[in-house]
Amino acid sequence: MLFGCSSVYKNLQPAAGDLSSLEKFKPNFKSALYKTEVDVIGHHLSGLLLIKTLPDSSVRMVFSNEMGFKFFDFEFRSDTGFKVYYVIKQMDKKAVITTLQKDFELVMMHKMDDKTAYVRKDGSNLYYVFPQQKGYNYYITNLSGSELIRMERSSARKPIVQAIMRNYSNGIPDTIGITHKNFSFTIGLKRIER
Amino acid sequence: MCRLILILFIMSCCLSLKAQEYTPVSDVTRFKDQFAVTAKKIETIKSDFTQEKNLSMLSEKIVSKGKFWFKKDNLLRMEYTKPFDYLMILNKDNIYVKDGKNETKVSTRSNKIFQQINKITVDCVQGTVLSNPDFKTRILENKNNYLVELSPVSKGLKEFFKTIKVYIDRKDYAVNTIEMDENSGDDTTLHFTNRELNTTIPDALFTIK
Repeated sequence: MLFGCSSVYKNLQPAAGDLSSLEKFKPNFKSALYKTEVDVIGHHLSGLLLIKTLPDSSVRMVFSNEMGFKFFDFEFRSDTGFKVYYVIKQMDKKAVITTLQKDFELVMMHKMDDKTAYVRKDGSNLYYVFPQQKGYNYYITNLSGSELIRMERSSARKPIVQAIMRNYSNGIPDTIGITHKNFSFTIGLKRIER
Repeated sequence: MCRLILILFIMSCCLSLKAQEYTPVSDVTRFKDQFAVTAKKIETIKSDFTQEKNLSMLSEKIVSKGKFWFKKDNLLRMEYTKPFDYLMILNKDNIYVKDGKNETKVSTRSNKIFQQINKITVDCVQGTVLSNPDFKTRILENKNNYLVELSPVSKGLKEFFKTIKVYIDRKDYAVNTIEMDENSGDDTTLHFTNRELNTTIPDALFTIK
């Protein structure tokens, strides 16, 4: 019981870290197409996710299946706005949309307010912590800051979502993985060369 | 100069499908009869296809290619090979999908929308599209093609499509393009090439294990 209430982050030590060192991990989705696999509570969904930055610097994400049927079309604005252009009825639930919004904001490295951010460390990693309206976004690098180990959306005590971005090419990660810890929900993205 | 003329000619051929004005078919009965007669003769179709998903607001096109097999009645195999692997087999009421390592089997009976969407493709190649009660139809023509415009009647399908346009070659009454227009202005086009009719296609291609 005692263990259940303690925070997995409680042993982290205050540390000095340069927030700007995260900039190099921020994906630059000029236009990228990903083969996408979603597994949610026993259901499997596959399709294509197109991520494109428009001239006004907003990012659009369109997810459709391989045969062209669209599941959703979201817009993420650089000023942290979010708009649903389209979502199929089966997914049109506030909890689903908010979850996807927050997951992708974590990956796109949005909502990183320098003024409230702080840095922690343990024996092997640096933890860049960005308090959110509810919970925290963590960007975890190695101690030298050269490698992004993982990203986390967390409560005060433990991660709710863990995500990775690997193998960048021209600022675009080749592989993106998002895993929810409190229920069975994963999103896997693998870039398709066109 | 010759090359320029050739380029212009190819461009005009590519554009001709949509650019040429369509007018309502003067003799609807004749078209329906001819279409039905032709469709009746078709036992199998083997074809290449190019699929183009056009995202209008993003000025983006997602192009994919693959092979298409159809066998009467209601056997359909679409195998995407570029730029990703994806296999869909429709065998009567069952659908099998393989994406990467993952295999899914569903019954179209359990999913009405899926059933209706697959019926569109099968109806188009089978020639029964004109009698599909899920749609209101309008038949148009120009010099090269007939155009069957399908407007969904049911609420479920209306959510997915504004119209579905089926382009049919005047010469042989064969479907050459299916264009699915969404309410958002985006569309998905399936274009068929290298079509072979009534060649032997083994049933094994449509087997769902």
